[in-house]
Amino acid sequence: MANLIIEQVKKRYGTTEVLKGIDISIKAGEFLILVGPSGCGKSTLMNAIAGLDDVSEGRIMIADRDVTYADPKDRDIAMVFQSYALYPNMTVEENISFGLEMRKVPKEERDVEVKRVSEMLQIDHLLSRKPAHLSGGQRQRVAMGRALARRPQLYLFDEPLSNLDAKLRVEMRTEIKKLHQKLGTTIVYVTHDQIEAMTLADRIAVMKDGEVQQLGSPQEIYDNPANLFVAGFMGSPAMNFIPANVVSTDNGVMLELATKTPTLLPFPKKEALNAYLGKEILLGLRPEMITEPQHHKEGLEFVVKSHVNVEVTEPMGADTMVITRITDSEINCRCHPAYPAAPGSDIELMFDTSKAVAFDKNTGERIDL
Amino acid sequence: MTSANTMNSNSSRRQKTPLEHILRVALYICLLGMAAVYLMPFLVMFLTSLKDVEEIRSGTLLSLPGSLNFDAWVKAWGGACTGSSCNGIAPFFINSFQIVIPAVLISTIIGALNGYVISMWKFKGSDIFFGALLIGCFIPFQVILLPMARTLGWLGIANTTTGLVFVHVVYGVAFTTLFFRNFYQGIPSDLIKAARLDGAGFFTIFRRIILPISTPIIVVTIIWQFTQIWNDFLFGVAFSGFDTQPVTVALNNLVNTSFGGKEYNVDMAAAILAALPTLLVYVLAGKYFVRGLTAGAVKG
Repeated sequence: MANLIIEQVKKRYGTTEVLKGIDISIKAGEFLILVGPSGCGKSTLMNAIAGLDDVSEGRIMIADRDVTYADPKDRDIAMVFQSYALYPNMTVEENISFGLEMRKVPKEERDVEVKRVSEMLQIDHLLSRKPAHLSGGQRQRVAMGRALARRPQLYLFDEPLSNLDAKLRVEMRTEIKKLHQKLGTTIVYVTHDQIEAMTLADRIAVMKDGEVQQLGSPQEIYDNPANLFVAGFMGSPAMNFIPANVVSTDNGVMLELATKTPTLLPFPKKEALNAYLGKEILLGLRPEMITEPQHHKEGLEFVVKSHVNVEVTEPMGADTMVITRITDSEINCRCHPAYPAAPGSDIELMFDTSKAVAFDKNTGERIDL
Repeated sequence: MTSANTMNSNSSRRQKTPLEHILRVALYICLLGMAAVYLMPFLVMFLTSLKDVEEIRSGTLLSLPGSLNFDAWVKAWGGACTGSSCNGIAPFFINSFQIVIPAVLISTIIGALNGYVISMWKFKGSDIFFGALLIGCFIPFQVILLPMARTLGWLGIANTTTGLVFVHVVYGVAFTTLFFRNFYQGIPSDLIKAARLDGAGFFTIFRRIILPISTPIIVVTIIWQFTQIWNDFLFGVAFSGFDTQPVTVALNNLVNTSFGGKEYNVDMAAAILAALPTLLVYVLAGKYFVRGLTAGAVKG
């Protein structure tokens, strides 16, 4: 188990900068997730941590040891690849023990380790098989087994679940989380799936264009996104961005939505809005904060009811997503399935702005941090 | 599966129209004709090799021999004259093997290593290096005869078996590299990364992971190289000494050496003998050849 410190890491290919000064530091035993759209540099950063790619500038430290220029095999890390990268000519057992063999661990110890790992991952009945004769889920387990067998300081997971079908993905996700809780190891995990990021991470680094947009706990990132990109990337369905005018009223500064009859919404950090008086901003409101009128919320400070026109409804079982439109922006609202919301009809919805955030329309930055 | 079977049985149960019948017969006649065209020379060679000189003179090309008579084969193998010596082509068989076996092995090993480096350990300029190597595939043999003769002389291996092995290795590396590089291109690079993290080095990865999955392309390369080098005549005739001539050169000498009448039966037997090893290689490894040429990425 080890901590990981990444300082001002830059990576250039020719003149294009793929990593533009990454700063991340996690404590021993933490589960860090690098998440972002494809091409954001997360896999490059992963390769840099592994030592498979040189960095152009900056420093990488594992367990307080500078490994920036160390060979991959001297960094004491193990990696699980998206393609599993199992050695096709070796049996499962040989795959798991190959790393130990390379490190000159005696045969008896290797056997003990293979047994331990394969029992933990429930692949002990597959040890004599070749990877070609395994299912996707089994290959995934073998790939993890190979990483676990060496008991390295740091585990790297490069989109390990993205080749699995949806059901298996959810199962393996839970299993990885259990494994982390049991072993308490430090893990860096790359994914583009924001649900994986939310469910697994102790800390999430949201990346875009070679920069860390925000580093924080899943809840921090969900509740307090640093900018429009992070807010839009994390959460499903995504956060609603509603154009709103900042207006001055008898009750202080409020946000005006262009619903059929304009809706005035209170805002928690209204002093942050002063600079935007008379201008339009983007109000960030999660779908679960726009619901059917709920009795227990009636009369609360940041709760306002308003009428909207229903465009489409998407029943999801537990909830029904009601999609409406406010000044050209599509708005997702999470309503109770029993709430009558026929497409085309006008319905009353309850806006709860107690957790609302506000963004500058032009820069996309938070204005109420 | 089930639906495909039903479809097949349906179409076979359906009555063919007379036109379809005629076309089908015509197709087979065409195919058999083609096959005959290809087999005819071999048949003529084989029949001629079993006749004696008298029969050859009196009969037609396709007339059958009067009796099974392998005298010509025996003579071609051990007694026919090639130039001034009269030991048949057997000694030159050995020469050919002495050239072919090392040349095939060395060029295959170098090709495998080259391909491994070019596709998995890319370095600055590796693509240019590969491009330059490819040009080697398109240089005609004749072009390098003189420079190569000078080089062999300078290296002190002119007219030796070693010299011929050297020439064939140099000429073959372009092809073998191309084969291996294309094969390795389909192997996911993650495999190498995983092995590096596991602590394996350049040669360990090659030996433990890459070579074991290279069987199809190794077979292809060996067949290709074996055929090329065994059948080579130009390099053989240009760079060999009298006692290092490969069998192709000896065959030529045998045919051109005659005391009195031409012994076509011996010539034919010698030609078939000289062609046997390549034939044998194809028969034994032919299915790997096709499989190796069509094999794409390694699954799993």
